[in-house]
Amino acid sequence: MLWAVATILFLMFRLMPTNPLAAYIDPTFTEEQQQLLMAKFGLDRPLWEQYFIYLKNLLQGELGDSFFYRQPVGERVLELLPNTLVLTFSSLIVAYLFGIIVGAWLAWKRDSVAERATIPLVLTTRAMPEFWLGMLLLAVFSFTLGWFPAGGTRSPGSEYDGYLALYTSRDFLSHLVLPALTLAIYSQGLPLLLMRSNMLEVMNEDFVTMARIKGLSNWTVVVRHAARNALLPVMTSFAIAVGYQIQGNVVVETVFSWPGLGRELVNAVSASDYPLAQGAFLMIAVVVVLMNLLADLLYSLLDPRVSHA
Amino acid sequence: MDGDILRVNGLKISYAVGDEKVRAVDDATFSIPGGSIVGLVGESGCGKTTVARGLTRVMTKNASIEGGEAIFDGADLMSMSETEMNRLRWRDIAFVPQSAMNSLDPVYRIEHQLNEVLVQRGGHSRKDARRRAEELFDMVGIEPRRLKDYPHQFSGGMRQRVAIALALALNPKLVIADEPVTALDVIVQRQILDTLKDLQEKLGISVILVTHDISVVAYVCDRIVVMYAGRVVESGDTETVLTKPYHPYTMGLYNAFPDLQSSAGVLTPIEGHPPDLRHPPTGCRFAQRCPFAQDRCTTSGEIALSDVGGGHFAACLRSDEAETLRGDAAKSETWAAMA
Amino acid sequence: MHSETARAEPVKDGTILRLIKRIHLPLDDPFALAGLIIYAVFILVAVFADQLATHNPLEILFTADYQLAADLRPGEDGFVLGTTSLGRDIYSQLIYGSRSALLIGITAAFMVAVIGTVVGLLAGYFRGWIDVVLMRAADIAFGIPFLPFVIVLSAFLEPSIWNVVFAMALILWRDTGRVIRSQVLTLRTRAYIDAARVAGSSDLKIVFRHIAPNILPLSFLYGSIAIGWAILTEAAISFLGFGDPETISWGYMLQDAYASQALSTGGYYWFVPPGICIVLVVVAGFFISRGYEEILFPKLKE
Repeated sequence: MLWAVATILFLMFRLMPTNPLAAYIDPTFTEEQQQLLMAKFGLDRPLWEQYFIYLKNLLQGELGDSFFYRQPVGERVLELLPNTLVLTFSSLIVAYLFGIIVGAWLAWKRDSVAERATIPLVLTTRAMPEFWLGMLLLAVFSFTLGWFPAGGTRSPGSEYDGYLALYTSRDFLSHLVLPALTLAIYSQGLPLLLMRSNMLEVMNEDFVTMARIKGLSNWTVVVRHAARNALLPVMTSFAIAVGYQIQGNVVVETVFSWPGLGRELVNAVSASDYPLAQGAFLMIAVVVVLMNLLADLLYSLLDPRVSHA
Repeated sequence: MDGDILRVNGLKISYAVGDEKVRAVDDATFSIPGGSIVGLVGESGCGKTTVARGLTRVMTKNASIEGGEAIFDGADLMSMSETEMNRLRWRDIAFVPQSAMNSLDPVYRIEHQLNEVLVQRGGHSRKDARRRAEELFDMVGIEPRRLKDYPHQFSGGMRQRVAIALALALNPKLVIADEPVTALDVIVQRQILDTLKDLQEKLGISVILVTHDISVVAYVCDRIVVMYAGRVVESGDTETVLTKPYHPYTMGLYNAFPDLQSSAGVLTPIEGHPPDLRHPPTGCRFAQRCPFAQDRCTTSGEIALSDVGGGHFAACLRSDEAETLRGDAAKSETWAAMA
Repeated sequence: MHSETARAEPVKDGTILRLIKRIHLPLDDPFALAGLIIYAVFILVAVFADQLATHNPLEILFTADYQLAADLRPGEDGFVLGTTSLGRDIYSQLIYGSRSALLIGITAAFMVAVIGTVVGLLAGYFRGWIDVVLMRAADIAFGIPFLPFVIVLSAFLEPSIWNVVFAMALILWRDTGRVIRSQVLTLRTRAYIDAARVAGSSDLKIVFRHIAPNILPLSFLYGSIAIGWAILTEAAISFLGFGDPETISWGYMLQDAYASQALSTGGYYWFVPPGICIVLVVVAGFFISRGYEEILFPKLKE
C-alpha cells in the first residue's frame, strides 16, 4: 500500500518536465559543477536504478537532504510531525465530543425545531473552505478583538525545553485555540451527522424497546444502550477523520503559520525543494494509512461481535 | 372472577397512520386467572401483539390507548401515572420478546444485562445479583459459566432461554411472552415451551402467551383468547374452546394448523384477508370470510361476547347452532367454497 | 438480423427516456429545492457575467483624479464592493469567479461520476480479475492524501484551473466506484437480471438496460457531492498560490486578500463575499445530494 504510494510519488517527482535540481543550481554554476551535483544526488543514473536506490533509502528511513535547509529530510519532517499531530488531535477531540453529544441530543429531539435548524447549519459548516473560516476567525478574534495571537506556536523570543514544556505552556495553548477551533468547526459535522442517524436507527432496535419495558431509567436506555451502540461507527470514523484531517491541515497551517507538515509541504513545493516535499508527502501518507488500520482495530475492540467471534 | 391477576375490559388502541387512525385493538375484553397460562391467538394484524405491548405501555410513538381498562392486582394499568407504571414494569410484569437476538444488547455480556435489571430494578447488591444470575441460568437450563458470553455467541433456542431467565429475574407475577418460539424449529419450540410451562407451574406465575399458532396454545395453555381484526371473538378454557368452538373463526383456525404433538392430516386455510381496519365493516368482522354468515351478521351492529356456559365466551349470532356448524366446519369443502 | 435492428431503435429511445425519468430531481424537499435555485442563480450569473460585471476583473483601475483606485471601501467612487490593494474591482471579480467555480465544479463532478460509475459497473458486473485490479487501484487511490497530491501535481504542471479537475479525475473516482460496485453486486443477484441472461441478452445490454438505470441516481448523488469538493479544492489550491493568476476565481480572491494583509486592516468587504459565494454553491450541492439520498434511501426519512 505505502509502496504503491511511494512509487507514484517517485514517478511524479522524476517524470516531471522541470529539472529537479533547478532550485538548487545557481545560474553561475558551470556545466561541470552541474554534472557533479547531478552525480551527487544520483540523478545521472538510469531511471530504474534511481528507483531502486530510492526504495532502498526509504526502507532505511533515508529521505535525502533538503535543498533549502541542507538538513536531512527525515529529521526535519519528524521535527514538524508533533506540531501537526497536536493540532489534529486537539481539534478532533473537541469536534468529536461536541458532535457525539449534539448528534445524540438531536436524535432524541427528533422533529423539533432545533433539529430541523441544525442540519442545514451543520451542512453549512461542512461547505466552508477551512482556510476561509480560519481567515474569518483570525480577522475577528486576533486582528479586530486582539484576544488571540495571529500565528505560529509561540511568542517571538520564547524558548521551551522540549515538546512537553512547549505544549503545556499557556503561550502555546493560546496559539492553538484559533487553528484548532477552525478545524474543529469544520470536523464536527461528520460525527454529529453520523451519531444522529445511528441513534435514530438504534432507537428503533428491539433491545432499546426492551430496555424501556424493563423499566430502566431514561439515562440507561438512551445512553448506556442506544448511544453506546450508535457510537461504534462514529468511533471508527475518528481514526479515518485523523487521516483526512492531517491532509486538510495543509491550508489551516498555512493560514495560521503553524509549523507543521502541511505548511512545510506547501513551502517545499513552492521553493522546489523536492526531497523535502516528497518527505512531507510520504509522512502524511503514512499517517493516513496507519489511521485506517487503527480504525479497523478500534472497531474490533469496541464490537464484541467482531472481537468474540 | 376474584382469582384473576389481570382483567382487560373494553381496551381500545389506535395507530396514527398518515392522517388516518387505525383501531388495531377495539373493545378487547378478557381475563387472566392467577397461576395460569393464557394463549392470545389470532392471525398477524389481529391486534394481539398490540394488546401485549399495550399492557406494558411501551409502544411506538404513533400508538395511543383510547379507552378501556386493564386491572392488574387491583390497579388500572391504563390510567396509572407513568411513574407508577414504571414501578410495576419487570418487577410485576415482565416480557419475553419474539426475537431474543434483537432484544439483547449486542455489546454487553449477558451477565451485565441480567445485573442491570437485578441491581437497577430489583435492588440486589452486586454479589447478590451474581448469585441470582447463576440461579436463573440454572432454572432455564444453561450452564452458569455462559453468563460471560455475548448474545451473538448463543444459538436461537439458547437466546430464548436467556430471555426467559431475564423475564423471571425479579419474580414477576405476570410474564407476557410475545411469539416466544415463532422463530425456532419445532423440536426447540417444544423444549422451550416445556421449560416455560415447567417454570410457570413451579413459580406459580401467570403467563400471557401471544402466538399465531393455535397448536402452541393447545400444547401449553390453560385458557385461550382468540382475537380477530382487533376484537376478541372467543375465550375460555383451552380444551373446551378447541373441542367445542362456538365461533366459526376458531373452527377455521383450528383446521389451519398442524398439531404440535402429532403430524396432522390435511390443513384447510381460511380464504381471504382480514378487513382493512381503517374502515372496519359493521357487524361481525369475520362475516366476509365466514361460510356461515347471514344477512343479520353484518346488519345487527357490533356483536358482544356472550357466555355460552362455564366461563366460555363467544361473539357469534349463531352460537346456538354451534353444534351443526362445527360439523360443517370440519369439512374442507365448506371453507373451499369461500375461495 | 433485420428484425433485431428494427427492434433496437424504439428500445434505445425508451432507454433514454427512462434514464431521464430515473434522474428525477428531488423537488419536494424544500432544502433540495433551495439548492437547485441557488445553482440556477449562479449559472445565470456565470452566463451573463459580461453584462453583470462593471469592470474588467483584472484591470488596474484609477479614480477620476487619476489616483490608483486601491483599497477603496464598498461604495467609494462607485465601486459596489470596493477595490483590491492593486486597484481591481471586487464586485466584478466576484461575478467572474462564478464562471470558474461552475466550470470546475461541473466538469470535475462529471468526470468523477463517469469514471466512478464505469469502474463500479465493470468491477461489479464482471467480477474476476477486472474487479481485483480496479478495487486494488481504488485502495491505492484511498491511500493517497488528496490535497497534498493536488498541490504537488499543480506545482509541476502549468498553473491552470484544470489541474484540479485532472487531479480529481485521478483520485476521487474511488468513492463513487466503490459504492456503485457494491450496488451493482446486489443488483446482479436480482431475478430479472438472471432472467435477462437466460433470455440471451448480451452482457453489454444487461449492463446498460437493466443495471445502469438503477444506479444512475447514485451516480448523480456522488456527482452533486463532487461539485462541492471540486470548488473547495480549487479554492484551497488557489489560496495556497498554486492557481492560475490569469483566471479569476474565488479562491484566488481570497489568496489575494490574505497576501495583501486584508485581515489585519479589517478588509472584511474583500474576503467575506467570495467565501460566502463558495459556501452557497457548495451547500447547494449538499442540499441536492441530501434530497437524492431521501429518494434513494427513503428509510432514513422514517
